[in-house]
Amino acid sequence: MAATVALAGLRRRPGSVWGVGARRLLQVTPQQNPSRDKTETHHPHYPGIVESTEEYKFVERLIPPTRIPAPPKHAQYPTPSGWRAPSDTPPALPYFVRRSRMHNVPVYKDITSGNRRMTVIRKIEGDIWALEEEVKEFLTQLAGKPPPIQVNEITCSIRIKGYFDNELKEWLLNKGF
Amino acid sequence: MIRAGSRLWGRGAAARALSTVSGQPGRPEAPATSPRLQDAASQAEKPPPMTSSAPVLRDCRLAIPSHRTAMQAWVESLRHYDDRHVGLADLHPDVFAVMPRVDILHSVAVWQRNYKRISYAKVKTRAEVRGGGKKPWAQKGSGRARHGSIRSPLWRGGGIIHGPRGPTSYYYMLPMKVRVLGLKVALTAKLMQDNLHIVDGLDMPTCDPQYLADLAQYRHWGQSVLIVDVNKMPENIMKAAASLKTITLVPALGLNVHSMLKHETLVLTLDTLAFLEEKLLWHDSRYTALYPFRLPYSDFP
Repeated sequence: MAATVALAGLRRRPGSVWGVGARRLLQVTPQQNPSRDKTETHHPHYPGIVESTEEYKFVERLIPPTRIPAPPKHAQYPTPSGWRAPSDTPPALPYFVRRSRMHNVPVYKDITSGNRRMTVIRKIEGDIWALEEEVKEFLTQLAGKPPPIQVNEITCSIRIKGYFDNELKEWLLNKGF
Repeated sequence: MIRAGSRLWGRGAAARALSTVSGQPGRPEAPATSPRLQDAASQAEKPPPMTSSAPVLRDCRLAIPSHRTAMQAWVESLRHYDDRHVGLADLHPDVFAVMPRVDILHSVAVWQRNYKRISYAKVKTRAEVRGGGKKPWAQKGSGRARHGSIRSPLWRGGGIIHGPRGPTSYYYMLPMKVRVLGLKVALTAKLMQDNLHIVDGLDMPTCDPQYLADLAQYRHWGQSVLIVDVNKMPENIMKAAASLKTITLVPALGLNVHSMLKHETLVLTLDTLAFLEEKLLWHDSRYTALYPFRLPYSDFP
């Protein structure tokens, strides 16, 4: 072992394969630790290790949040994306439609069996039957005849036959939800 | 007791007025103290002994939606039999007044029973029953029915066809949002059925089990009580509940639908309320997980 060290010491050149191999060999023998420190400190091109806690803020910047932020106050509504905030005071109606967790109006299209087209209004609170009456009235004016409507009180949702999602979203937005 | 209650309402109204001035969102209207209540209070014999004169008032730390109002519950204390109205606690309506989804409650309760179940039922097939390798008699000429093995399923002592095979896991996972909704529905049901009691802490004057049993009986807490605390439980109540079969202590992290349904009464401390509201309401405004929640997120509650 001492012979190898001597050889490495003799042969050590900047960036040479021999020098690297010798150091790796020396790390496994604890008796030779002082000589390893000497070789590392004396290596002209070895920069050493600098532990920096300063740059950890860049790592922290990459860690994602879990909470959906509250939307900021915009100067005017609708915003360029078409989004509108709900009114500050809840509308004076027997029912309430809460925004989804992404702050959109919870009206969705649904399709089953490939051709059974439906519209779903979710997250209804309060008197769901009052909302059903008003939806029926609104859609009768829109389509000319009242569409079939299912009211699910347990899941607080209303299901309408046909695609009326854009109209119903607009209608609910105008009501202040 | 009634006088204490009316005084409490007054203090509550004052605190509410203050809080509306300071701009806290979503506070309910201050209830006015009715004159009838005042008369009843003056006729009451003597006020109940209370350990401290200032009532405990608890606000929701998290914002309440503008179209809803906070639920309210009395704050009790375990320090004395008569400390039943130490203060008032506001409970968040999105935890303690959600839609009573019995279907969700059922699916969570069934999941809790099943997901850790291993069925060890196992029977032997004709290949595993000992013997039966030799053809019992010749195929033809004996006048008997043809058979190839004495362990055929048709034989007595033969193998079983289509029987349960080996340890079977019944593990499945409900979606996290369903499990959370189950907890909310169970808490709501407990509150609506008047089986939810809020205590300011679990400090008791004695470690006598009889004191705790008597307290539960005196307050009509029913057959079984589930006591939940988020902090470390005090020594007295741990000693007292250790020998009582119907009173169970549970840390807040271990609160679950099955235990809530199994026990008649649920007792929460004020710290537990804050903990539960924060943990459960976080699910109402969280993204779908990018990666598992045990890995680092910047604002995990």
